[in-house]
Amino acid sequence: MKAEFAFIALPVSALIAPSAFAVRYLNVEQAQQAIFPGKSFTAAPVKLTGVQRKAIEQASGVRVLHDEQQVWRVSGGGWFIVDEVVGKHEFITYAAGIIADGSVKQIEIMDYRETYGGQIREQKWRAQFVGKTSRSTLKLDSDVKNISGATLSCRHITDGVKRLLAFYEIALKH
Amino acid sequence: MRSHSSIEIRRCRPLLGTFVEVETSGANAARLERAIGAAFAAIEKVQRLMSFHDPTSDVSRMNREAFPRSVIVHPWTWKVLEAAQQFARESDGAFDVAIARRLADHGYLPRRDYRFDSAATWQDIFLRKNYRVFFRRQLMIDLGGIAKGFAVDQAVAALKGNGAKKGIVNAGGDLRVFGSTSQVIHLRHPSKPVQAAGAVRLRDRAMATSGIYFARRKYRRRSISPMVDGRTGRSSRELISVSVAASECMTADALTKIIFALRGKGAALLAQYHADALLLERDGEASWIFRSPCDTRDRTRFD
Repeated sequence: MKAEFAFIALPVSALIAPSAFAVRYLNVEQAQQAIFPGKSFTAAPVKLTGVQRKAIEQASGVRVLHDEQQVWRVSGGGWFIVDEVVGKHEFITYAAGIIADGSVKQIEIMDYRETYGGQIREQKWRAQFVGKTSRSTLKLDSDVKNISGATLSCRHITDGVKRLLAFYEIALKH
Repeated sequence: MRSHSSIEIRRCRPLLGTFVEVETSGANAARLERAIGAAFAAIEKVQRLMSFHDPTSDVSRMNREAFPRSVIVHPWTWKVLEAAQQFARESDGAFDVAIARRLADHGYLPRRDYRFDSAATWQDIFLRKNYRVFFRRQLMIDLGGIAKGFAVDQAVAALKGNGAKKGIVNAGGDLRVFGSTSQVIHLRHPSKPVQAAGAVRLRDRAMATSGIYFARRKYRRRSISPMVDGRTGRSSRELISVSVAASECMTADALTKIIFALRGKGAALLAQYHADALLLERDGEASWIFRSPCDTRDRTRFD
């Protein structure tokens, strides 16, 4: 088998289009089974009160963007949470599994979207993805499958998980 | 009954400070899941051993204690350090894991409250028998320029060890493709990083890209980046990117930093490692710094 390495110039249209990289890794059911294989899940969404919201922000040092949190109770103990974070260029939906002792079992990225030119900050742009997390498959720019380039930091996910752990302490644990 | 349909599994987790993607395909879903689990476990292990931020990692222990006494590290950490020292020697110090102090000064790594010898370099790091590491001066290392590549190699080994025949591991742009099929890898545009400037086709090969476009910032009114030339201590300010392809991702990872500093002067080193290097200019224009002679097919097309 021969190693191969060749450069392919892209058509001009691909270079100037306000391109967006998007990958769908897992829907909710797949993420549940990836983190807690063989378990069953009961939806238990949480609506935060103003007091809880403030307490979470204080404990984690991270802003809470939504009052509603998608949560499932896992058979045999533990919680499955779907959350989203917004960075400068990226909008990411991810799932976190929290086990009975309050520690993170596993994080899985569900949807990763990257765009240029401030769209990420627009509610309208993000709204087109809302409700698509569960079943429908979504593929933008399916030609772009693998990207190499300088590393994009996952700091927003780290902050998101910090916020989820505070959410667990304040809104789930008791 | 055996099914001939191939299932593709692709997962992504936040690890090594970036997004790590593992993909493999085959006929047996349970086996693929197991292989992917093993690949992520290998990457988590590299993170545990070589994270600069985790106080219990080998790297943190060395930075606290390898001066004035030696510290015993895990064989994996040892292997990465050994390779790092070799790259430092071969690049006359352009690649230097002892630049962590400068990265901390510039805010790319957290500051530590112990005193450091500002003259310390990679030449003050000694690897001794039985996985012992000793620093001759008080210094601080960061394996960020090489450990990610090593992690990708370990993840590929874990996939193969669990029966995976083909796949790709991509740690935020440092990646390795294995198996009989090739993959198209899009390269970020150096000054518009959310767009692609071009693509390369890879088969059974690793590639790493270095650029400063996500990490540039101001320090004392000057533009700085974490891309530091170990010989001068200066950070790069150019919005270019360098991609290196090699058989192992650790090699590709380290060579991108070296080529970023040495450019064409690094050609001999690229030849020694049978590596290729592609430079993308600020405007996205691509040029080869070196193409390894072992691959004569599919010459570069710029049309």
